[in-house]
Amino acid sequence: MAQTTTTVIQEARARDTVGIFTHMADAAATEVAPGDAAEAALAFLTEMSPDLRGAAILGSDGTVLAAAGDRDRWREDAAVLLAAADGAGPEPIEQVHVATEQGEVFALRHAGLAVVAVTERFALASLLFFDMRSVLRDLAATLAAEGEG
Amino acid sequence: MPPKPHRILLDRVSGYADEAAAYMRRRRISRRPFARLYYPNGRAGDHADDSAVGAELFVAAGRLIEVAGRRPKA
Repeated sequence: MAQTTTTVIQEARARDTVGIFTHMADAAATEVAPGDAAEAALAFLTEMSPDLRGAAILGSDGTVLAAAGDRDRWREDAAVLLAAADGAGPEPIEQVHVATEQGEVFALRHAGLAVVAVTERFALASLLFFDMRSVLRDLAATLAAEGEG
Repeated sequence: MPPKPHRILLDRVSGYADEAAAYMRRRRISRRPFARLYYPNGRAGDHADDSAVGAELFVAAGRLIEVAGRRPKA
C-alpha cells in the first residue's frame, strides 16, 4: 500500500489552511464604531465580574455609549449620581462607591469616560474598580486610535 | 509520636481558612450601608445616609440598582 510521507501531508495542510485564515474576520482590517467598541468593553467587564448585575459606559458629554438595559434610564440616573457626588466636594470625584442593603453601586471616571456598575452586595470593591479602570483605559485607547485613523 | 509534617501544614491552612471565613461572616453581619467618594488626589470621604449628600447618593444608587434589576440566574 502506498503511503504519503509526513512531510508531504504537512505541506498540503499548510497550503490549504492559509486560505481558511484569509477569510476570517481578523485577517482584514475592520473599522470599529465607538458604540461597538463600548459594547465590547461592557461585555468584557460583565464577563470579568461575576457579581455584576448591570453597567453602563458613558462618554465625556454624558451620552450612553453602551448599557445593559434601558439606556435613557442609565443616562438619567448615572447623571444624578455623578452630579450628587460632584456636589459633595470642591472638585469632581474620580470614584464613587455606595453600598446599600439591595446592592452596591460603583462609578469611575477615567480618560474622559465614565462607567457605572451595579453589583450584588459585598462585591470586592478594589477588584471591581481595577477592572473598570482597565476597561476604560483600553476603550479610550481604542477610541483615540480610531480618531487618529 | 509527633504528627506527620503534612498534617501540620494541612492544619495550619485549615486554620487560616476558618479564620478568613469567620472574618467574612462577621463582615457581612456587621457592615452597614455607606457612601464613599474618592478624589483624584487620593483623598476619600464617607457620607452618612442622614446627611444631605449621603441622602442624594443613596437615592441615586437606589434608582440605579432598580435599573440594573436582578442578576439573571446562571
